[in-house]
Amino acid sequence: MSTEQLDKPIIEQPAKPSKGSALRGILPSRQEIVLLVLLAGLLGLAYALSPNFLTPTAQIGLSTHVWELALIALPMTLIILTAGIDLSVGSTMALSAVTFGLSYQAHLPIGVCALLTLAVGGLAGALNGFFVAYVRVHPLIATLATLAAYRGIAEGLSLGRPVSGFPDSFTQLGQGTLLGFPIPGLIFLVFLVAIGLCVTRLPLGLWLSAIGYNETAARYSGIAVSKIKFWLYTSSGLMAALAALLFVARRNTAKADVGAGMELGVITAVVLGGTSIFGGRGRLFGTVLGVLLIHETREFVSWQWNRDELNLIVIGMLLILSVLADSLLSPKAR
Amino acid sequence: MTILSRLARQREYNVLALLVLTVIGVGCANHSFLTAGNLGDILVASVPSVIIACGLTFVIVLGEIDISVGSLLGLLATVMGQITSPTHAGLSVALGIAVTLLLGAFIGLINGVLVAFGRMPSIIVTLGMLTVLQGINLTLINGQFITDLPPALRFFGIGQFLGIPISLWTAAVVVCLAILIARETPLGRRIYASGSNPEAARLAGLPVRGLKLFVFTLTGFLTAVAAVVSVPKLGVIDSGVGQGLELLVVTCVVVGGTSISGGRGTVTGSVLAALLLSVISPMLIFLRLGPSVTYWERAIQGAFILVAVLADHLTSKRHEAR
Repeated sequence: MSTEQLDKPIIEQPAKPSKGSALRGILPSRQEIVLLVLLAGLLGLAYALSPNFLTPTAQIGLSTHVWELALIALPMTLIILTAGIDLSVGSTMALSAVTFGLSYQAHLPIGVCALLTLAVGGLAGALNGFFVAYVRVHPLIATLATLAAYRGIAEGLSLGRPVSGFPDSFTQLGQGTLLGFPIPGLIFLVFLVAIGLCVTRLPLGLWLSAIGYNETAARYSGIAVSKIKFWLYTSSGLMAALAALLFVARRNTAKADVGAGMELGVITAVVLGGTSIFGGRGRLFGTVLGVLLIHETREFVSWQWNRDELNLIVIGMLLILSVLADSLLSPKAR
Repeated sequence: MTILSRLARQREYNVLALLVLTVIGVGCANHSFLTAGNLGDILVASVPSVIIACGLTFVIVLGEIDISVGSLLGLLATVMGQITSPTHAGLSVALGIAVTLLLGAFIGLINGVLVAFGRMPSIIVTLGMLTVLQGINLTLINGQFITDLPPALRFFGIGQFLGIPISLWTAAVVVCLAILIARETPLGRRIYASGSNPEAARLAGLPVRGLKLFVFTLTGFLTAVAAVVSVPKLGVIDSGVGQGLELLVVTCVVVGGTSISGGRGTVTGSVLAALLLSVISPMLIFLRLGPSVTYWERAIQGAFILVAVLADHLTSKRHEAR
């Protein structure tokens, strides 16, 4: 027991401890440079093969697919930074979407439906947070259990039936644009800036890294570890509920299969963005790059070859190769 | 060590007690649940998760994880189907099975090499592998079904030996071997030692990297074995085979008492947990709760997992000073 904890600071020493929180650096990290090069290569290839892909109209049209994933990736980055993980985000989306559909069917006003949805998502996240922060169940296990449970409750409540036909005022939330930019994208930008400011201007970012590097040490140095973790998982649930609202608005249908496999996409994006799965190291800029790379890869492969399954191969390889490159290039990781 | 092993054994008894209580409870409510035929069906349905859980137990005891087994099983099903089905390649069944077993072990080996020599976290490696294999499977299957598996292959799924299905014999052999490896061989003891303290194991001269290669290859191979004895039972192979299996198997191992941070856990526990989780869906049918209850299956499964994990957590906290 104690050896494991004693080992920790030695094994998981930050690559450049003098820099302090990796969140604060301005220069791109090695992983981020790798991503930027890959992204440039991909866009260059796209330009050579099919110039239409890069026009603003096409890009804005295609971007509608990415915002839910991008939103959920924000709190996920912070969670993974604390050496945690939330596997239940896709199921939380389903539970939230079903809540929205059923409350709309019960003729509640649309605003009340949305609030209920956010409340259910937040509660689902809070339950995860409670297990992880206060009962101290390993996050992988706790959220694996709620992954099954939330999806199950969504299926049970909806009996597998979809709800659709929402009013235009609501579907505009997912489909509408403001000054030519999709509304979900604007929501994402607001959250990105807000969360980005919180982790760079407040001590929060430092605290999260500290928890990720060595939770025991963080506790002893007076950081409210349990409280922070609890609210992180709660915010992840809330964000999943918001993503569910945007998804339902975009597709105009709410069903228990919403967000299936979302957790894997989000985690891939965060890890691809250079956040260490062991915690302590990572930042939002990398996650944005990771999301962007996954999104552009997916869309370009579908655009060019019209084969969605090729995407999976490319993204899986990207994930493995980029982390492998990072691991082999770093002089003494692990 | 004695306290740890006592705790681990206690956990097996908990799962066993829960399993027996569930079976007896449902049996009292509906006597036809306890017929040999039905219990046999439940056992046969649990075969893939039992076989793969044996391999995954070693992986998790070693402090690693493998979440690629579901899409690996799906890919192997497609490969096996396309090699043997007369409307596809139509080659011999022996070749199909050999290729399946080799491919499974090979993919496991790649996982192992990336983890052991690429120094990558196993959750990332196998997450990437899960995605890649899914992509390859979808590309191979190309939106079609394989429906005409040759009878010689279907024998492995539905055939019997001494009145007991082949798949049950296979699972029994795998389980016995896994228990034997874990408890009686130096190999097994080394896996436990490396899992509870990798640094100490390395300093003591244990081949930690070699052990990692072994457990991942074993899991890949056992996934292939599970594919050979469970897939031919299906009349149709489509892209949905094996979906979500990785989470089910990880759940079995964890509910069975294996610690996710390594070093502690038993094959018996995983197997009992796999049986417990396979009882849930027939249980809902036999309790005659109406057609809508099947939609609640996953919710009940999730609740079972939560209860098992919490119970374990609360009881072990009292003993262990963590």
